[in-house]
Parts: sequence; structure tokens; C-alpha cells
Amino acid sequence: MNRSNTFIFGRRWTVQLTFAIGISLVVIFSIIPAIGIFAISFTDIRSLPFLPTHWVGLENYRTFFSSAQIAYNLHALKNTFVFAIAVTLFQNVLALFIAVLLNQRLRGRNFARAVVFMPTILGVTVVGLIFSLIFNPSGGPAASVWKSLGASSAFFGDPHLAMTLVIVVQVWSGIGVAVVIYLAGLQAIPQELYEVASIDGATRWQKLRQVTYPLLAPSVTANTLLCIIGSLQSYQLIYVLTGPSNPATQVLSLAIFTQGFGGSQGGSVQSQGYAASISIVQFIIVMIVSVATLTYLRRKETAL
Amino acid sequence: MSELQTAVRTTTAPATSQSQSVGAARTSGPAKVVSYILLGVVILIFLFPLAFLVNTALKSNSEFFNNPTGIAKAPLLSNFGKAWHQGNFAAYVLNSVLYTFAAAALGTVMSLMVGFPVARGYLKHTRLWNILFVSMLFLPNTLVTVFQLALRLHLYDTRLGYILIMVSGVGVGPLLISGYLKSVPKELDEAAVLDGVGYLRYLFRFLPPLIQPVLATVFILQAIGVWNDIILATILLPDQAKSPVTLGLFAFKGAYVSQWSLLSAATIIVALPLLVVYVFLQRYLVASVVGGAVKG
Repeated sequence: MNRSNTFIFGRRWTVQLTFAIGISLVVIFSIIPAIGIFAISFTDIRSLPFLPTHWVGLENYRTFFSSAQIAYNLHALKNTFVFAIAVTLFQNVLALFIAVLLNQRLRGRNFARAVVFMPTILGVTVVGLIFSLIFNPSGGPAASVWKSLGASSAFFGDPHLAMTLVIVVQVWSGIGVAVVIYLAGLQAIPQELYEVASIDGATRWQKLRQVTYPLLAPSVTANTLLCIIGSLQSYQLIYVLTGPSNPATQVLSLAIFTQGFGGSQGGSVQSQGYAASISIVQFIIVMIVSVATLTYLRRKETAL
Repeated sequence: MSELQTAVRTTTAPATSQSQSVGAARTSGPAKVVSYILLGVVILIFLFPLAFLVNTALKSNSEFFNNPTGIAKAPLLSNFGKAWHQGNFAAYVLNSVLYTFAAAALGTVMSLMVGFPVARGYLKHTRLWNILFVSMLFLPNTLVTVFQLALRLHLYDTRLGYILIMVSGVGVGPLLISGYLKSVPKELDEAAVLDGVGYLRYLFRFLPPLIQPVLATVFILQAIGVWNDIILATILLPDQAKSPVTLGLFAFKGAYVSQWSLLSAATIIVALPLLVVYVFLQRYLVASVVGGAVKG
């Protein structure tokens, strides 16, 4: 496999130079910070640059699991999982459903494809503001519907409802990419397979079960994985919709932000070293969950 | 890890068969009617929030409070001018355009510079570099170290620092490019060498047109990410004069929290350029996100 001697363009320094420029950007601004996060999770580093920094060993991790913090952290952990599982589940099922719908020969399907993908372009701040408006407790459309049912709600201000609403908005805004990936998967299935299945007398359901689903399995894997990793780490939309320290929607990523950069909740220490230790805990969780998911989905794919 | 690489590739590799558009069974009769109803529902779900936003932006504040959900009686365009001035959006939009364009362009060039030689095995340790590209997808949350790094390199609160940090967020860029290059025969490289084309000229002049779809994908993914960023800008750019438009809008929300008509107008101001670009590039954009696999 060693093909290092196959460089054919003559002088080697040109490739080495361009590669070095590119890779050093990645290393300095991406890889070093990633490794650095491990290192400084053992320090009491603060946001001001010239305060003395000390090695504190496992202190930050001890704090994370201490009786003063554990309730807050477990709560954030629970919220993270609730958010990630619900978003992954609903987003994938609905995206598959919409993709199958938009893959039929219907007038207006191109328009619908464009419309479904639009929130991806608009971005979290715009999407966040649109839904703040719709769930505006003093007279948004949602409040009017609630009122006609004889109820009222503070929506994002309601601790029992906030997480559900955030999940709905996240699915609405993120579903476009999943739909596009499923559409690509659907279009890669050769039409002949359906014709063969029809000749064999397969019903619509059998075609879906025996042809579409197995051949779509790689798209399912990709979508599930992307969605799980993304939603375990996601917090920008929550930040815009409910603020940085709303307990009802506190997730680990937001805890990193509030503990490291202020806006704290739960009476804690807030050194950036402590925030770094939360990053590491989150990183380990993301690794375990994504490897487990990948293994499970791969096994299922080969079983089909 | 290599499985994820294949997963990413299978969904992003250019599809070869597009003409026979496809898994679609030919539906007829009642099934078709149901499909059209569902299609209508989907379009409504995605367009209603936007329509409501526009409707609100056209109302006066008092009309909004008297009748928040009704259709605007006397459409008012003055909200837009007011929001534009009070929100200082001119400066914010310029900042965002600069950040987005610079970071996406640099990120794409960088992905090309590292993705190409690794895909072709023109460097030692190909496997190691490949592992590095994949592991870039799994990095931990680096908010804290990125902040500390910016402080120590004197890049804190500078436009350059913000751009460089956004560039390195390319993530899948090198992986996408090296994956796509598998569809470009190596004989082309050899032909270029025979014609006396040097590496730099080949990399920056001859190759880009050949792999345009994947370059566009990397650029667009990167641009969407930069334009929509709010957290890193909050952390790295405390000076309001350097804020991107998302932060400007967020600040506007804080300042005019109960003036929903004005807020709606401001939101539209921020969303409009994106929507216009999207309407014109929509086919290309959606397609390029999966590497040209989906075509209408």
C-alpha cells in the first residue's frame, strides 16, 4: 500500500508546501484545540488570560460528580438524551415519509423539495425568531389556537412544554438535509428491480419491504448517525429559543457555554477548566453512542 | 471509523443514473389524490411560518396587538426602513458577507490542498492523514480552547481570527473531496504531467473545473455554517462593530422584545438575501448537498 514514491509531478516541494499550509490550519485551529481540551480539563484556567493557571488533577471531574453539581449535570444529561433521541427518531421517520412522497411523479414536487430544504439555509437565528413569533404567548397563532381550546400557555416559558417545542422546531429546521439524503438514496435504486418485483406479483407493501427498504439501508445509517452526533452536540437553536440557562432545556453543550463564558445557573464554579471537563464527558458520550449506533445499524444492514 | 467514511461516501458519491427517476411507483387514482393532499400539507407546514412572518412585518404594532393572527389590513412597509436603521443592519450584513465568503472560500481551497494529494497517495502516511480527516468529524466541543487560543495568538476580537477559526471548521471538506476524486481517473494527472503542467497549475487551474460539484458542496456547506453561526461570534467578537448579522438580529430581539412587527421586519431583512440566493440557486444547492445526486 505504500505508494509514497508515485508522485509524478516532478518537484516534491510544491505538493509538500500546499499540503503543509492546509494541514497546519487544520492542526492549529482544530486538532490542537481538540487535544488541548483534554489538557486544560485538568486545570483551573479562567477566561482572563493573565490569571495564574494551576494543575488541579481530577478536581474538575470530581466537581462534575459532586453532590453540589450532580443533580444539575444529570438533569442536563437527561435533557441531552431526550433531545437527541426524539429529534433523531422524528426527523428520520418524517424525512423518510416526505422523501417517498416527493419521489413520486407529482406536480409541484420540486417546489416542495425546495421548501423543505429552505430552513437549512435560513439558519438558527432566523428560524428561532420565526418560532418565537408563532409561539408568542401574547397573541401568536399558537396562542390563539390554545385560547380557542380554552387554555393558555407560556410556550417556551413553560417548563413542561419548552423541551417538546424545541424538539419540534429542531425537526422542522433540520429535516431538509435528511430528506435530500433519502431522496438521493431512493433515486439510486434501479427501476428494473421494481419491474422484476411487479412481474413476480409483489404488492406495494412487499416492494417497499423487499426492495426499497434494504437498498435504502445505507441512507438510513448515514442519516441516523449524522442526526445522533449532531443533536447530541447541538445547542444553537436552544440558545436562541430559550436562552442560555433555562433549566427546562439545559443540555450539556449549553452547560459548557454557561460554565465557561458566564450566564451561569445552578450556583457553580465556572472556570473554563471545569467547562472543558464537561466537553470531555460529552465527547465520551458521543463516542460511545455513535460507535454503538453504527455497529447496530451495520449489523442490521448486512442482515437484510 | 472507516465504516462512517463509507457511509459518508455512499451518500455523497455522484449518482450515475439520474434520467430514470426512479423508486417512484406510478401511482394512480385515489392513491394519487392522497399524495397530493399530503404534498399540500407538507408545503403548508413549511411555508406557513414564513407567511406569518411576512404578514406580521406588514402590520403596525397596534394592529398586531389588536389582531395578531389576522391578515394585515393596510400593509405597512415602513417597518422595514425602521428596523434597518435601528438595527444597524447595514454594517452587520457587510460583516457577514465578508466572514461567509472568506471562510467558505479559504475552507474550500484548504480542503482541496489537503484532500487531493491524500486521495492520490502523493504523500507519505496516506492512511494516517485519512484517519485524521475522519476523526475531524468526532472532535470534542472546543469552545473553551478556541477561545484561549484566540486570546494567546492575539486573534481575539479580530476579524482575521474569527475567519481562521471558522475556516478550520470545514469538517467533512477534505473527506468529501478525496472521496469524490475516486471518480476522476488518475490518467488525467499523468496526461497533465506529460503536457508539462506543474503540480500547482494542475491543482488550482485544471482540477477545479473537473470536480466542480464537490467544490461547490464544500463551499456551500461551509457558507451555511458560517452565515448561521452565533455562538463562536458571541465568544470571539465582543466588539459590536464586528458582529455578524445573526448577532445583530439576536441583539435586536433583546432590545425590541415586544415590538413584534418591527422584529418580524428585521428577521425578513436578515432572511431575504438568503432567500433570494436560494430561489435562484435552489436546484443546484439542494443537489450539491449530496454531491449532485438529486436532480429534479
